[in-house]
Amino acid sequence: MEHQHKSSALLLGLLVFGALAVLTAVEFVFALKINLWQFLVLIPLIKAGLVLYYYMHISRLFEADLDANHESYAYKLLTNRIGLWLFLLSDAFIFGGLLLSRINLLGLMRPDLNQVLGLAVTSILLISSFFANRAEILMEFGERKQFILNISITIGLGILFLVGVVGVEWRLAPFGPADSIQGAIFYVMTGFHAFHVLTGVIFLTIVLRNGSRGLYSAEKHWAVEASVVYWHFVDVVWFFFYPALYLIGTLAK
Amino acid sequence: MRKFFSLGLVRGLLWQILGTAIGIGILTGIRQLLGLAPWKPEPAMVFGALLGAMFFLYGVGVLNDWIRVAAGKEIQEHIDETGLGWRRYFGASLDHKVIGIQYLTLSLVLMVVGGTFALIFRSELATTGMQFLTLMEYNTLMSLHGIVMIVGILVGIAAFMNYLVPMLIGARDMSFPRLNAFAFWLAVPAGIILLSSLVLGGFDTGWTGYPPLSVRAPIGMQMFFLGISLAGFSTILGSLNIIVTIIRQRAPGMIPFRMPIFVWASIATSIISLTATQLIGLSFQMVMFERLFGMGFFDPGKGGNPILFQHLFWFYSHPAVYVFVLPGLGLISEMLPVFARKPLFGYKWVAISSIAIALIGFLVWGHHMFASGMAEYLRVPFMYSTLLVAVPTGVKFFSWLGTLWRGKITYETPMLFLLAGIVVFLLGGLTGPPNATISTDLHLTDTYFIVGHFHDTMFGGYVFPFFAAIYYWFPKMTGRRLNEKLGKLHFWLMTPAFIVLSLAMMRVGMLGMRRRIGDYDPELNFVIDHKIMTVAAFIIALGVLVFLINVFWSIRKGEVATGNLWNSRSPEWQVPSPMPMHNYEKPFEVVGEPYDYGLPGSVYVKFKESE
Amino acid sequence: MKHVVIITILVIASTLLIHTGLTSIDLLPVEASAQSVEIDQLFGMYTWMISALFSLIMVVLVYCLIVFRRRKGETGDGAYITGNTALEVAWTAIPLILVVILAYIGGKSLGIIRRVDPSAMKVKVIAGQWYWQYQYPEYGVTSTDLYLPVGQQIDLLMTSNDVIHSFWVPEFRVKQDLVPGRTTELRITPTLIGEYKVRCAELCGTRHAYMEGLVNVLSQADFDKWISQQQSAAPADPALRGQQLAQDYGCTNCHSTDGSQKIGPTWLHLYQSDVELSDGTSVVADNDYLKTAIVDVNLQIVKGFPANVMPDFSNTLDQTMVESLVAYIKTLK
Repeated sequence: MEHQHKSSALLLGLLVFGALAVLTAVEFVFALKINLWQFLVLIPLIKAGLVLYYYMHISRLFEADLDANHESYAYKLLTNRIGLWLFLLSDAFIFGGLLLSRINLLGLMRPDLNQVLGLAVTSILLISSFFANRAEILMEFGERKQFILNISITIGLGILFLVGVVGVEWRLAPFGPADSIQGAIFYVMTGFHAFHVLTGVIFLTIVLRNGSRGLYSAEKHWAVEASVVYWHFVDVVWFFFYPALYLIGTLAK
Repeated sequence: MRKFFSLGLVRGLLWQILGTAIGIGILTGIRQLLGLAPWKPEPAMVFGALLGAMFFLYGVGVLNDWIRVAAGKEIQEHIDETGLGWRRYFGASLDHKVIGIQYLTLSLVLMVVGGTFALIFRSELATTGMQFLTLMEYNTLMSLHGIVMIVGILVGIAAFMNYLVPMLIGARDMSFPRLNAFAFWLAVPAGIILLSSLVLGGFDTGWTGYPPLSVRAPIGMQMFFLGISLAGFSTILGSLNIIVTIIRQRAPGMIPFRMPIFVWASIATSIISLTATQLIGLSFQMVMFERLFGMGFFDPGKGGNPILFQHLFWFYSHPAVYVFVLPGLGLISEMLPVFARKPLFGYKWVAISSIAIALIGFLVWGHHMFASGMAEYLRVPFMYSTLLVAVPTGVKFFSWLGTLWRGKITYETPMLFLLAGIVVFLLGGLTGPPNATISTDLHLTDTYFIVGHFHDTMFGGYVFPFFAAIYYWFPKMTGRRLNEKLGKLHFWLMTPAFIVLSLAMMRVGMLGMRRRIGDYDPELNFVIDHKIMTVAAFIIALGVLVFLINVFWSIRKGEVATGNLWNSRSPEWQVPSPMPMHNYEKPFEVVGEPYDYGLPGSVYVKFKESE
Repeated sequence: MKHVVIITILVIASTLLIHTGLTSIDLLPVEASAQSVEIDQLFGMYTWMISALFSLIMVVLVYCLIVFRRRKGETGDGAYITGNTALEVAWTAIPLILVVILAYIGGKSLGIIRRVDPSAMKVKVIAGQWYWQYQYPEYGVTSTDLYLPVGQQIDLLMTSNDVIHSFWVPEFRVKQDLVPGRTTELRITPTLIGEYKVRCAELCGTRHAYMEGLVNVLSQADFDKWISQQQSAAPADPALRGQQLAQDYGCTNCHSTDGSQKIGPTWLHLYQSDVELSDGTSVVADNDYLKTAIVDVNLQIVKGFPANVMPDFSNTLDQTMVESLVAYIKTLK
């Protein structure tokens, strides 16, 4: 019975990933062919909705408290969840502000960036979210070894993303931060995002270490849930930043 | 000696000095490695200050438990702080009552510092010509007065929300006590960094920090930006805690419309500060990056837009003023029924009005930018939304009148300050519509009329209710009363002087006095008004001095007051004073309405019998 | 009921009293523009509103404080009244209607003060730290004081050379920020001949308080006379022109001509002298150096002086003006 729940959960995770991958491909192709910004805003919204519901389990916030004892683990778990989501809500405002700044300063122009690299790092981050979701599901079923494997892959991909953006993109970009407004916007947006990826990697590494020492169980693994939900949030931000920087608009001269 | 160095605050400061030095060293080293000229003061100071703040947090001890958790070690859920005495107040206590008092103390310190700056430049302004300040010194003191007061207010409202909310809802503590301690102690190095701008060249932009001017200002400007970014982060974490606590820790039977009204005010306030604060952080960080890395967000020469800064900045800074006043207005609604011995008139409407003000408040920021050169068509919607805020605000005023109507009113010191708050906030509120209307605002913006308007709203919505709350809850904190005679003296010194001050400000503003100027044209004939304002400022300061003397004296020698001094129905007054360490040994259940004064036999909370 | 009657009488009396008080003291400068007449009407409306609302709340407040105070020896609580839905609805709906009306009136007022007159005279305003400069493109005249003909709409087209400033003549009422990198517009119709002062109304640095200038509203005849004076007054000698420009554009605020220490290097003995730059190299202050120093201000910084302080004059001073300034500096041996 439990085995079935686990494989169906993993399958759902895979299907959602498939949908996200398809949407990303559609986004990319669409941007090449018909650059309509409305569509390129709609797709990220759909992707975000999928991740919020299926990967980040936002519906758990609205679960009724079966145990009204304020000191119980179950009660505190929901309290912690609400706290985490409020933190993410607050953080979202920074990224919202950055997006609005990009719109105000660049309008319907976009900076001259390497599309292959852009699609590559986007894919890396998306795949890392897939593995993060797997890791969380496996922990929910007490599969410690599998959890460790999947969380390690997530971390590896996260580091690869950072290398791709900060290590490669920032070097290859045809502008520096001080050269032009494209440069300023590109570096500030990718910089803020990369900082969050870095903190996510650190958080996941701590969870990996503690997880491999057996600190978490199927019943009690809040740190795993929190770090993974945070990781998905960072991915969702990129859903909006990617088209904003790479896809929407015509090339600035 | 050993005991002195074991105090969290002392260790924090020492670690901050260490961290600052290391930060400066690291940055210089990095620059050396990159082949740049190693010593550049600005990046070194910024990085040093940031690292210093982080080291402070480690030194004061608020990171220890989290470090243990990260290392996979066990921590104690509840820490018993009995027996630690006064030392708790100088370190990382997890008790919300201690943290509330720590915030309160920091707030009073900041108000005194900010107020002293005002006294200095008000002395300079008493007559034309520059008597003893240089223009740069004036601009720095004026700018710091503004921002130090703002941080003082943020910290002061954190004081009352942290102290009161768990007690009012029957909780033992906040949902996240360690986060609470962290948020408080973050405000301390933030304040230190902010004040360090004084010795790093100051800054001449006012607290609004508009580029391009702020991009060219001295290094003190960066200390301002960094200090506020850190203080903002503190506010965000504090408000997160408040919201979660109110959602999760309420006593049985405390349905939303049976919560004390101050709890509603706290939710409304926290919604704003949780979200909008990020925008001022972002706008300041963008200027910091423009200064440090040449990123031309606001530099037209590089394709940037100075007005973008204003949009980002005011998107927070307007809702921020509702953060400043909603708690105070909530405090008025909370205490007025007690002194009128009558229910809060239209409780549900008052509760909703706080939320309404918070939400509408997000939509009005453009009214600070009517003359800025922003898109013309945007101005009119902002005028409509701004005028709209008057409606829920009016609901509060009318409810206060309704509460007093047919009451049995007494005039203890807290009540006097509540009434002053109402009158002064009325003045502030009534001078709002001329500012909200674009054509009149084009005359009034950037003049002393605005200065008068916001001093009225700040004093009415924060300062007076804040003093009322201190006089009211001081017994709950200490078990003693503040002296009534000194309290009334404080009131009579402060209130008339303040009203005269704000009226004079508005008069000279309408007649042509610009704001943020250290000297003014003698032809304008404002010298008498300014002399009056300066004298008034000193009288207000005298009132505050009387208050501080009262506090220091009453902590030790005040009249003992361990019972329900105000005969309040509120749960915290049903247990002895000072508030017991664990708040409510016996939990309570809500069985009636909070403000049913005058209804015979009615009870708000009922304590469970012991097992 | 008795309460209501007494209160109503007191509110009316108080409103009249306060309004009379407010209108009997000077609260606004003289009306010197068509815009100010419109705006002052709105101020008049607000004076009534403030008097009435202040009276309403204060009278009820003070009435309660007196009539419903606890007398000596009285025990017990106040009347048990929790609310009144009809009142709540009324004092939500009526203010709502009122503010919508106010906003509507405000919108109409804005339209009036922004009315465009296609025959308005264009004047360019350029502000910098801490000076005002005016150009009359229709007449080819520049000036550091603003001269305007009475009775005609003026279309001010404004920009800043450095930071944000703001143009405000209190007697005209309206103000508008000057933003670098863009042109902002302000329309004023002066109606009263006289001398006024423009005062910068956006904090723009150290000397913001002193960034004031003369605004002279003249009759059409006098204005025309002034224009023709300006057109013929430009000196023929470049050095004299340069001296005038150095005054007009605020150069002498920062550069002395007598060797004294100011924010920027002194011009005395500057020409052909050896100048040590901040990067350690040394150059001779020849023609090219001087020209560059004016139009590319941060390219070569003199050692001991701060960078990023001198405003960018590349848009304000044309070739001839730069040459005139250089000619003037050459005379300061």
